[in-house]
Amino acid sequence: MNIEEKLWNYIDGACTPEEQQAISRLIEQDEVYRRKYQELLQLNQEFAGIELDEPPMAFTYNVMETIRAEHAQNPLKAAIDKRIIRGISIFFGFTISVLLIIALSSIHWSAMGSAGPAFKFTMPNIAQYFTGNFMKGFMFFDVVLALFLFDGYLRKKTATKAQISVQSGRQQTEHHD
Amino acid sequence: MQSKLTDSELIEQTLAGNQAAYADLVKRHQRFVFTLALRFAKTREDAEEIAQDCFIKAYRSLASFQGGSKFSTWLYSIVYTTAMTFLRKKRVDTDSIDDEATYIQLQNRTDGYDVNDAENRSRSYYLNQAIAQLLPDDATIITLFYQGEQSLDEIGQTLGIEPNTVKVKLFRARQRLKEKLERNLKHEVKELI
Repeated sequence: MNIEEKLWNYIDGACTPEEQQAISRLIEQDEVYRRKYQELLQLNQEFAGIELDEPPMAFTYNVMETIRAEHAQNPLKAAIDKRIIRGISIFFGFTISVLLIIALSSIHWSAMGSAGPAFKFTMPNIAQYFTGNFMKGFMFFDVVLALFLFDGYLRKKTATKAQISVQSGRQQTEHHD
Repeated sequence: MQSKLTDSELIEQTLAGNQAAYADLVKRHQRFVFTLALRFAKTREDAEEIAQDCFIKAYRSLASFQGGSKFSTWLYSIVYTTAMTFLRKKRVDTDSIDDEATYIQLQNRTDGYDVNDAENRSRSYYLNQAIAQLLPDDATIITLFYQGEQSLDEIGQTLGIEPNTVKVKLFRARQRLKEKLERNLKHEVKELI
């Protein structure tokens, strides 16, 4: 290890306590060591004083815009809440099952073997279900569901606002301290 | 105005869906990341591209950041790998970057400073000129150690090498920087005479 390497290690504090002591003794006693040490110490300060380069003004904006654009490009399948997809599939599954049960229950199984078609479909008269009362009930259910979802949305929004105000309050307190 | 929250708090908020928190993280680290990128790329445009790419990569894999090391150390390792990939790609694109081409590139870069009179040039100007003439690896180690205030262990993590190797590389990088600085200063004195 040459003088410079020893002295750099000494300046960086990267040597053992024994080496540290030995080098500080050499700096005190040896003129060559002292001069070299002063030179390297000055260089060390200059290296530490190198200023960082400034990126363009719109740098952060550009980064965030790219991130936002990437989010927007997400396929619709990934962007939609999976619970909604599950809800829709349950609804259709249920509807198909109900229709199947109605259809099967309307078959005249006793007519099997007699002349003519093996079974006869009697299509349920769906129109009879769409009465005034049914529509009122349906609309009432929709309104209650909409209010329930809106309430959930408002609660979520209030919680986010409260969290932000707590954080900004904490920042202000730290600032005052 | 920059956020007073710590890096970890900003990361938590980002992962919770608050993109403004990530913008704060970018603002906090952009100067250093850009400077580090500039040690590899020889133009500000390329450095901006590398730095931007790093922040986007970091955002994408933020959930995988374990917090075992400082966020800055993790981020600088992304800068290093991205910049190395960029250099390799650049070499392929330009077929070959031989020493002569690199020298011309460096000359062009340093020539940009020639707007001031020689008398007005400060020592820090010559230092910047010298650091721009170093090889990317040397310039990176110097930048991480002095401007990034990273320990030898942290630099080792960033560059994927042993701390003892970092120590040796740092010593050599400082030697080369010192030589370049002295050469540039001598050249300038000759010009003045």
